[in-house]
Amino acid sequence: MTEAGPQPGAQPQPGARPQPGTRPQPGARPQRGTGLSALETDWRTLDARMLLIHPVTEGIRFLPALAAVFIAGRTSDGHDWWQLAAVAAVVVLGVLRWLTTRYRIGNGQIELRKGLLNKQVIATPADRVRTVDVTAPVFHRLLGVAKVEIGTAGGGHRGERIVLDALGAAEARHLREELLHRRGSQPSELPGEVSTWADDGRPPVAAEAGGPEAETTLLVLQPSWVRFAPLTISGFLSGLAVVGFGGQFVSQGFGLRGLRGAEQRVSDTPLWLALTAGAGTVAVAVSVLAVVGYVLSFWGFRLTRHSGGSLHVSRGLLTTRETSIEEARLRGLEVGEPLGLRLAGGGRLQAVTTGLSRRENDRGNAWLVPPAPRAVVERVAAEVVGDPEALSAPLTRHGHAARRRRYVRAVGPALLVSGVAFALTLLRGWPGWVLALAGLTVLASPALAKDRYAGLGHHLTARHLVVSSGSFSRRRDALSRDGIIGWNLRQTLFQRRSGLVTLTATTAAGKQGYHLHDVEQSRAVQVGAEVTPALVEQFLAR
Amino acid sequence: MPIGDPGSGQAPPGVVALREPAHLVSPRARVMWFVGGVAQALVLAAAQALWWRVDAEGSRAPHVVLGAAFVVPALAYVVVMPQWRYRVHRWESTPTAVYTQTGWVTQERRIAPVSRIQTVDMTRGPVAQLFRLASVQVTTASAAGPLKIHGLDVDVARRLVDELTTATAAAGGDAT
Repeated sequence: MTEAGPQPGAQPQPGARPQPGTRPQPGARPQRGTGLSALETDWRTLDARMLLIHPVTEGIRFLPALAAVFIAGRTSDGHDWWQLAAVAAVVVLGVLRWLTTRYRIGNGQIELRKGLLNKQVIATPADRVRTVDVTAPVFHRLLGVAKVEIGTAGGGHRGERIVLDALGAAEARHLREELLHRRGSQPSELPGEVSTWADDGRPPVAAEAGGPEAETTLLVLQPSWVRFAPLTISGFLSGLAVVGFGGQFVSQGFGLRGLRGAEQRVSDTPLWLALTAGAGTVAVAVSVLAVVGYVLSFWGFRLTRHSGGSLHVSRGLLTTRETSIEEARLRGLEVGEPLGLRLAGGGRLQAVTTGLSRRENDRGNAWLVPPAPRAVVERVAAEVVGDPEALSAPLTRHGHAARRRRYVRAVGPALLVSGVAFALTLLRGWPGWVLALAGLTVLASPALAKDRYAGLGHHLTARHLVVSSGSFSRRRDALSRDGIIGWNLRQTLFQRRSGLVTLTATTAAGKQGYHLHDVEQSRAVQVGAEVTPALVEQFLAR
Repeated sequence: MPIGDPGSGQAPPGVVALREPAHLVSPRARVMWFVGGVAQALVLAAAQALWWRVDAEGSRAPHVVLGAAFVVPALAYVVVMPQWRYRVHRWESTPTAVYTQTGWVTQERRIAPVSRIQTVDMTRGPVAQLFRLASVQVTTASAAGPLKIHGLDVDVARRLVDELTTATAAAGGDAT
């Protein structure tokens, strides 16, 4: 696996780009930190403790089927044993996979050989490693192993990730340290990005290997932040899902007699009492479950910054995750303030970074601050990105036409729903509370529209484009101006008539596109021309 | 056209606007879109005919109502859409950027820099091949930003693809 790299023995200057087409001389090797050579191995299998873990995890995945076979009795046509055979087959496949997977670290490369029928070899130069995530689900932790996922330049959606499932825990951590902290001897390789470091006032990484890496802790989770757990949409929804799911079991378990008795009791109590009691129970259950979810996800949350130029996050109660975000790949921040959090004075922070596939983004590898007080979010954001104005400056509103659209889009559907409810109540005799509920939404919709307009805005600082939108799920995204690739300007028929446009700044990071909704046409073009003048000015109307 | 100093965020006097991209797509694209529209309408009409046959008993009133509700919009779509689309679809490629305008009811303009282009594809569906047309798709590192130009004459498309691939190779880099 040849690579275009710096000439051996020469230290690349910060800001220099490796010339395309150059190669290391045959027989010579670029300088490497001694740490990696200490880890060199020949072809090895993954840790043998996986042979214990794999059947257990597969068994758990098939637990419903197994339960059906054993608990529900070995009755019926005997086809139940097919399910057992399926589980056994899965376990055997897992063992075979373990047997056929080999990895090797050496020669400045990490190689993984895997595949039963389709043999695959994935090799990565250690130079190209950008992220190393160490994950230890509960069974892994019990046995002292951890899963290592190595991501390379080019990102997960283009490059192959090397997944070593699993290595011994100490070995995994050591490998991670070595792969990530070799920054000390080789500056980041991304062309054109290193010059931004100098503009920020942060010194580029020293060309010579430095002393021990300095690690500053930016954030440690405080247990009192758990109070924010039920207030986030995802917390609420996951709690609701569990309650709904559990409710099915409960109703089945009760049996018909129990239900009839309960129904009798419910119809005896007045409606309002039953409703409030029901709502109260649901709320409590959802809160408890959301808190449990929060604790499982974020316990022990710790955000640190390494002087080598990466941010490290470790978190998790049963499954521990250690992820890293390279600062050269950071293209901005997303401050999330869903309605509940906002009312309680909280917020959360995620990184906008290239190199994470969408799957990883969804899994939450970009967390910088879990739901926490707003002051904490602002402090960490200022420290990570160094542009306090980006997150606190007042936003430019989008004008009267945008406000009108917010109201129309909020009140219109509410009126429509009420109209339908009214018709149904009148013609089909639906109960009155449906109409009351619809009327309630009509009353609430102007408030929603007002909040949505208040959350809509944008701002341009020297280094960032700040975009804000939403009410229930409000986000304020600060996008680095360097990371913006191009622009989309979208107009529906109604927007054209109002002279509005939805401007999207496209970027290779995070959500890929960040929208300024319903901004005036000329303002949209102004924003584009200010951020990327070389790109937009050639297309201006003269 | 005056623009406020970078970073000031102030609105300058005067209105700033984007002009349209310079080139139209091929006039034959109208025929291609017409054929596509007719095909869609025929599919829906066939579904209705099937329903007519299947639901033979019972009153014919819902069939007639649906048929009437379908015919006028379908005719309007098939006649109006190609011409409208043709007037809206435009494209332009400069040494530093690609600029497209697409759509008909909802219109979208996209600008992407040549230095961040990752792939340039030319595709020709069966109908496009009939009319000697092609589509060019330009993707950048952002998943939100592919630029698509449909209905280009095939020679024009080939030239555009060549231009863009040469320009992209010259720019080099990681493109993120």
